[in-house]
Amino acid sequence: MLDAIANTLLFREARLHRVQGKFADCLRSEAAEGFLDLLLNGMALMLLVLPEYRRNIEGFNGKYLLKSRDGSITVSATFAKNRMKVSRTAVADPNVTVTFKDDAALRNFLLSEQPDILNSILQQLIEVDGNLNYIYKLGYMANHLRLAITG
Amino acid sequence: MSTLSIPDIRLRSCTLDSLPRLQRLRTKHFADKDWPEVCIERAVRVTEYLRDMASPHDSAMLQYAKAVNHFLSHKAPLFFDDNLLAGTTTSHPFGAPVYPEQTGMSIWPELETIGRRGKNPQGLSDQDAEKLNLDVFPFWLDRTILEHARNQHGNLPCMKLFQQLIFFIASKAGCISHTVPDFNVVLAQGLEGIIATAKQKAAALGSGGSLSEKERGQKDFYESVQIALQGLIAYAANLSREASDQAAQESDPARRSLYLELAEICAQVPAKPARTFREAVNSLWLCQVGILAENINMAMSPGRLDQVLYPYYAADVAKGTLTPEEAVELVGCLWLKLTDNTNLVPESAEELFGGAGPVPAVTVGGVDSEGEDAVNDLTYVVLRATELLNVRDPSLNARYHCEKNPQEYRDRVCEVIASTRAVPAFHNDIADIKTLVNQGVSLPHARDYAIIGCVELSSSGRSYDASSSIILNLVAPLELALYNGQRPAVGDQQVGPRTGDPATFSSFAQFWTAFETQLSWVIEQAIELNEILGRTYQQIMPSPLLSGLFTGPLEKGRDLIFGGALYNSSGATQVGFADTVDSLNAIEHAVFVAKECTFAELIAALRANFKGKEPLRQFLLNQAPKYGTDSPQALENSQRLVRFLYETYQSHVNYRGGSYRPAYWSMTNHAGQGKLAGALPSGRKAAQVFASGITPVSQAATEVTSCLQAVASLGSCCIPGGFALNLKFPEVRDREQMTKVAEAVDTYFQSGGMHVQFNIMSYRDLMEARAHPKEHDELLVRVSGYSAYFNGLNDAMKEEIITRTAYDVDTGQALPLPPNARSG
Repeated sequence: MLDAIANTLLFREARLHRVQGKFADCLRSEAAEGFLDLLLNGMALMLLVLPEYRRNIEGFNGKYLLKSRDGSITVSATFAKNRMKVSRTAVADPNVTVTFKDDAALRNFLLSEQPDILNSILQQLIEVDGNLNYIYKLGYMANHLRLAITG
Repeated sequence: MSTLSIPDIRLRSCTLDSLPRLQRLRTKHFADKDWPEVCIERAVRVTEYLRDMASPHDSAMLQYAKAVNHFLSHKAPLFFDDNLLAGTTTSHPFGAPVYPEQTGMSIWPELETIGRRGKNPQGLSDQDAEKLNLDVFPFWLDRTILEHARNQHGNLPCMKLFQQLIFFIASKAGCISHTVPDFNVVLAQGLEGIIATAKQKAAALGSGGSLSEKERGQKDFYESVQIALQGLIAYAANLSREASDQAAQESDPARRSLYLELAEICAQVPAKPARTFREAVNSLWLCQVGILAENINMAMSPGRLDQVLYPYYAADVAKGTLTPEEAVELVGCLWLKLTDNTNLVPESAEELFGGAGPVPAVTVGGVDSEGEDAVNDLTYVVLRATELLNVRDPSLNARYHCEKNPQEYRDRVCEVIASTRAVPAFHNDIADIKTLVNQGVSLPHARDYAIIGCVELSSSGRSYDASSSIILNLVAPLELALYNGQRPAVGDQQVGPRTGDPATFSSFAQFWTAFETQLSWVIEQAIELNEILGRTYQQIMPSPLLSGLFTGPLEKGRDLIFGGALYNSSGATQVGFADTVDSLNAIEHAVFVAKECTFAELIAALRANFKGKEPLRQFLLNQAPKYGTDSPQALENSQRLVRFLYETYQSHVNYRGGSYRPAYWSMTNHAGQGKLAGALPSGRKAAQVFASGITPVSQAATEVTSCLQAVASLGSCCIPGGFALNLKFPEVRDREQMTKVAEAVDTYFQSGGMHVQFNIMSYRDLMEARAHPKEHDELLVRVSGYSAYFNGLNDAMKEEIITRTAYDVDTGQALPLPPNARSG
């Protein structure tokens, strides 16, 4: 039993290192494609592995729907029971829906060196429908992840 | 009646050298001003009370009053310097308080980077950032004013439109504030007097099950006022104890003496009546601290200080215990207290509100409630303190009644403007009083008006005006009319009603109708949301402390937010007025009068941002009539738009039973919104800043006299919220030039102008300050109703101020803009 747990944790660690590496590459290259998957999956993994980071979602219930303007990308993130779940389908009754012009717009919105949510809205790069506070929270978590990886 | 006894109204004997305390405090202010620190103290205390300690049996009113009391009772009593007044807004020498109920959450993504951000960084310790992230903000996720409203009403179209931020700003999501309290009662009776009144009123209602629902609400209100004010008394008592402790430990005799004085003052005020001028000033300041404990630090304006404080000044001078010089020092200390805090905004909000402070407006001069000259010695004391310090806050406003106030007062105000190069602003008593009377304010109460925030008018302490409720971008409905209900900035979504393709319009009247339809629609969206937000405040965030410092609530047994004040209104200010009027002028002239182009060609040129259409653009810029000139067509269009806005807004009644008052001041929204707007029929290219307030477009008004007449012709009664007119002169060299400026103000006011403010600086001065910011750290400029440090402004706003038309004082002619004035 203990072996199994240790094994799972080791795999998690290995996956974490892999995702961190990809994430750091993504940040360095400023590539936008696939960024959303990387961000949310990286966030989910970090939440599993790092107790400090997990404090961000203790008692937090929230549903996010993120989709591209052209309809080609739909990703949901659900926070419940101190866990984060990412899916490729639209979640029902999200607290907030973000429609983004393209990957680059979303990346700029959530993960630029100076997170600038209002400016992204002003520039019409993203549209937010719903509770903006949830976006502020996600913005904090994304920025924390960026800082943790890039220092 | 005017009371003048000082031999030298300029108080030339008072200098920063002769008042070293002010010199020291001013130096410290400039050292601190670029590094405000985020203060979480209020956010933590209010959150912990509402989350962990509030009784579910208490009404929202009682809960909020107790939360305010909890914060104030536990607020750290701090002394950072040798200011003669006790009390601080935050726990830092220069702090930005967090109000999570409103817009405080917007800094959440920046918690770990706010100190490193490019625009106006603010200090925040790791420990405080973690507290906000894990302890404070999560509680407010669904409880902010906007989200509470959304939970109740659903995600309404008006909310979605607001969240696009380029049609209108529903300011209530971020604040109400914007008002002038009544400090007369607290100075005369102390907070204990107000508490006693509330107690008596509550007792008179009786108790038990016999109370009606309305009476139970009144009882709650009276109890809430007492609880909130007792919190402020507790804070003052803590300050007094701390000052005594500090005195006991202090080895320096001067510091020890100061602490002992402060201990004695805080033991007296604001709980008890002020006995001296110094106690009155400190009482007023502590009340301001208390108000900001309850309400966000936006345009909470102290009002007519030369009137409110005068009895205490005069009594001390008569007793021989106060000199005018000492009064200058005390007023200067108050100025440096009023500027001890700033707004907490996310980096991108700098795009819209860059450089703005909390804008506590102070008003001097004018007439008294009998209509007689109210200028007194203290008026000149205030002017001298302002001149010496030349700091951003408070925003000083000089009322001027050209029939009642002496010419020497007018000239002295002009001198201070020339000396500070920016403050104070001039307000026309005759026009302002007439305008307020037209809004139903009694004549004596109208005469006792003060300025809120930028330029808004308010009967002091009697009128709850929430004067910044709506900030509406006039260019948005103009573009909606041009594109049949769409706006290019938001793609191809159908935003407004379909009013037809202008290419099919056969007359200017048709376009005007389409524009009015879109404008009415945007106004209705903004008002709908303001009403919802106002009712949300009624449910979750009343203002019992502020209500205790107002005329009306205690008499009616009703909080301000429920209409307790004697008078009520909501302010709605317009952004992009001149650009809109010039675009209307251009459409009328180019399409329908001169037939220089068809409407379809004009719209095609706008969509192309005039690319390949420069001849048409030059025609629009140079041949179409311009607002700010004596063109009859431009005058007619500007007056017609102002009348339409007045009638539309005034046809609505707000949730407190008051009217909507249109206004024309823009803070820095005209720069931010301009950067987001497409090309306009006026010939303005996309992404250029709009003109500020009611000021004509840069370089459009070529003569200052015509400019002033055009603005005055708009009619103050249609602008009850007030307007901001910016004028720029490169210099005021001598007394002769100063007299010219003063006489221009006289003539303009006699024609009905309400307000004017000046920047006494040339294009080149400002370009030099932009190029070498460190060498011009203290350069203060008037923005659109308030003051800002030039280099604290965003780039767009700097450009707007640089490119504002400068006029030659001697000829009144516009001076040409240097070719490199625009940055890009």
